[in-house]
Amino acid sequence: MNHKVLIGGLVLALSLVGLLFANLGRDPHAVTSPLVGRAAPAFRLKPVGGGPPVDLAQLRGRPVIVNFWATWCVPCFEEHPVLVQAARDLGSSVQILGIVYEDEEERVDGFLRQHGQAYPSLLDLESKTAIAYGVHGVPETYFIDGKGRIVAKKEGPLTPETLTEYLRQASASTTQGPS
Amino acid sequence: MKAGLLGLALIALAPAAAGQEGVADPREILGPPRSGTLAGPALDARTDEVASLLRCPVCQGLSVADSPSALALNMKAQVKEMCAAGYDREQILAYFERSYGEFVRLEPPRRGVNWVVWLGPLLVFLTGGVFVIRAVRAARKHPPAPGDQTSGAPSSSPARLPEDPTMARYVLQVRELAGGSGHLEPDRAAAASSPGDRRQRS
Repeated sequence: MNHKVLIGGLVLALSLVGLLFANLGRDPHAVTSPLVGRAAPAFRLKPVGGGPPVDLAQLRGRPVIVNFWATWCVPCFEEHPVLVQAARDLGSSVQILGIVYEDEEERVDGFLRQHGQAYPSLLDLESKTAIAYGVHGVPETYFIDGKGRIVAKKEGPLTPETLTEYLRQASASTTQGPS
Repeated sequence: MKAGLLGLALIALAPAAAGQEGVADPREILGPPRSGTLAGPALDARTDEVASLLRCPVCQGLSVADSPSALALNMKAQVKEMCAAGYDREQILAYFERSYGEFVRLEPPRRGVNWVVWLGPLLVFLTGGVFVIRAVRAARKHPPAPGDQTSGAPSSSPARLPEDPTMARYVLQVRELAGGSGHLEPDRAAAASSPGDRRQRS
């Protein structure tokens, strides 16, 4: 009986230790998006400041960076110049799109006038697009390849380095794999 | 020629032009609604039911139905819209799961490794039951003889004193302080009341 208890206890303890060890080093707050590797949810949204709606489906053929942001979000302030600079450097080879998350058009318009604008920021009524993309908070950025698939998701502000790295993945994915 | 090109361009633009502003319709992902359209109190009740099964992504352990956050309110509005359109509970949960992952469901779906969560407690309960039944049966097979002192701790018998004379003295003292001398074994009682102890029987 004692042997049985000992072996049973060891099996239980070792399996628990194994489980803990397997998850060691995993960030419990990191949420992996189930959308990575799948088709990006289609949207057609009006830009801040007026103009024709932007349709994601019509941007096929080149990587698209979709950045959810808001004027009340401090990390978005840090990130804004990185995206503006990237949009100016990359030109038409990449399309950057901002999607405004839970904010007012006037405030966003004022922010863009003050801090500069190099790509359209789109209005997302009732956060439907944000929900379809599984947005938890801002900033969150999705990298979509030329075939319309989400290649990567970045939570938190982008740096020039992370942007370049994710964009490299998106570009590589555009030219590889099944369409 | 120009007219032809314009026609082609129009055909190419037609789906986009016809498509409503906003995000893709859930129908493109889920197919046609499987339930009937709802309105009025029935719609509110179904909305609350489904929203209470969805986790608010920006809260700590709150459902979409219970959370006052803007995102949860928007999610609830979308649940209501989908219920009104006739999507059933599973379709709506699947829609949110597609973008947020299984995490968004407050109840783990009954599949794969999740069965451990659903059946684990039952399994533990049944295993415990088996142990209890076996212990009860074993106890019935070998009932303890009346007056059997071998089971239980030696101190469980009120008349017994510890073997160690010093300890026995203390036990005796405590018994007296508690108001009764108890049934003492004569030899031990004699050993316990040593002449050097002045507090004894004062």
